[in-house]
Amino acid sequence: MSLVSTTEHTRLLLRRGLRIDGLFHGLSAAAAVLVLLVVFGVLAALLLGALPALQRFGFGFLISDAWNPVTDDFGALVAVFGTLVTSAIALCIAVPISFGIALFITQLAPAWLKQPVATAVELLAAIPSIIYGMWGLFVFAPRFAGHVQPWITDHLGQWPLLGPLFQGPPMGIGMFTAGLILAIMVIPFIAAVMRDVFDIVPAVLKESAYGLGATTWEVVWQVVLPYTRSAVIGGVMLGLGRALGETMAVTFVIGNAQRLDASLFMPGSTIASTLANEFTEATGELHTASLIALGLILFLITFVVLALARLMLLRLASRQGTVG
Amino acid sequence: MTEIPTLTYPNGLHATQGSQRGALHGLTRPTAVSDTKIAVRELDFHYGGYQALKGISLDIPARQVTAFIGPSGCGKSTLLRVFNRIYELYPGQRASGSVQLDGGDIFAREQHPNQLRAKVGMVFQQPTPFPMTVYDNIAFGVRMYERLSRARMAERVEWALRKAALWDEVKDKLRQTGTALSGGQQQRLCIARAIAVKPEVLLLDEPASALDPVSTLKIEELITELKRDYTIAVVTHNMQQAARVSDYTAFMYLGELIEFGDTRTLFTQPAQQATEDYITGRFG
Repeated sequence: MSLVSTTEHTRLLLRRGLRIDGLFHGLSAAAAVLVLLVVFGVLAALLLGALPALQRFGFGFLISDAWNPVTDDFGALVAVFGTLVTSAIALCIAVPISFGIALFITQLAPAWLKQPVATAVELLAAIPSIIYGMWGLFVFAPRFAGHVQPWITDHLGQWPLLGPLFQGPPMGIGMFTAGLILAIMVIPFIAAVMRDVFDIVPAVLKESAYGLGATTWEVVWQVVLPYTRSAVIGGVMLGLGRALGETMAVTFVIGNAQRLDASLFMPGSTIASTLANEFTEATGELHTASLIALGLILFLITFVVLALARLMLLRLASRQGTVG
Repeated sequence: MTEIPTLTYPNGLHATQGSQRGALHGLTRPTAVSDTKIAVRELDFHYGGYQALKGISLDIPARQVTAFIGPSGCGKSTLLRVFNRIYELYPGQRASGSVQLDGGDIFAREQHPNQLRAKVGMVFQQPTPFPMTVYDNIAFGVRMYERLSRARMAERVEWALRKAALWDEVKDKLRQTGTALSGGQQQRLCIARAIAVKPEVLLLDEPASALDPVSTLKIEELITELKRDYTIAVVTHNMQQAARVSDYTAFMYLGELIEFGDTRTLFTQPAQQATEDYITGRFG
């Protein structure tokens, strides 16, 4: 069978078009592959750099609370503990507030107020983290130490179980302050995701609940939130990913002590703050390798958290077709 | 019950006109129109600057099926959305005029919409099961108004599911999520959910238009079954459906009520040319 007849000219044009298409295809594929290469390159570099520490300490690196450059004895426990605790504090504060913000913007605010509030919250994300750090250290910490901390220590500090969390001298800086600053920093991200997913709940689903006589609170709590549950968790984990890796603001206010302490008011350190503080001063090979090993741990934790977040967000998207 | 003023239309249309004509032809049913459930007088409705309903007046008879037909955008769904004040969720939508449910003003300042919605249930075109179990879907609304013991609640759930002709199909799936049911089952679940709070009026906004023919038939049978206990207002695009399930039919066009009367008369001897054109498929 013969092909549809074409002139020589159109064949030439077509061939040139296909060539450009092929070139474009290759370039964009290369750009995409480059990102993957960078990710794996970073992982490889971290592994290689951390090798001396991993060989020396093995698995014990994870559970040792030692951090002594003089005796060349290192462990990740204090930094990992600080990272997890400050991030947990941040989420405890940020999640309810973000929920309130998203709820207000999507369900309660009059139309003219929605955009200004949403923009104001998003602008929080535009403030450089070092500004948060400075504000935390110079403005928040002294006032917190002077007015709030003594009161908390006097009252909550005496409680069984919870008490030990709030003991110690009122220094203003410490893990609690770091968590609080982190909370302010992750609120815009969590609130933005929550707002977006609340907005895609089909109007008719909400109307059905209102139509049964449900109040706004009941609609949100029993219909909107369950409908968007996985995406909301995804948004929270997105915020967690930010909190885990945040460096500058935390380094300013956490106190940078390589010490394990039950009290949230005591100084501690996170992986990121340890790296920021010590990398330029690390002398021995083992010290440097241990810091890189810390970085590797942070990379892995953040990677897993963000991957889970993406997965959770995808689940809502894939369910979109079933209702409404 | 307060006295409802008799209808007078400038164009001679009359809410009871259809039944009077029907009486002449011996077609009226035992229940007279005088047993009014919802009385609408001079109802206007605006979406922002757009007027969607223009001076609607009609009486919806109790324990009968009243169908609202008309081309898209004629205001029939809007009218339904006034009856349970669901439109109030959206700023810029407002109704003026009078709507009385059993003689009580539904727009009264002290009338809380949730109290109204306990009496006036609504089912939408799209099945809207809540993201929870079949059981909780039914119990959701009941919990808004009543504190029932576990056993009483289980009874109520079964009662509602039986009423909606769904019990036999889902009695083993009560703990499964409602979204796992088929489309037709989901829609009957939504009807069961509306019935469970024991309303007096059911508003059905194209309840079968997203369903397959078999499910549609089940919904229609259900409507016929339910009218013994409930006043039903159903919006439909499907004229055969209106003719099959309804006792009274209102034809609306461009936000106005063109003709209202008992279904058989309206479909066989429409008083208005526009009605005849629409039901014979000349437009719409």
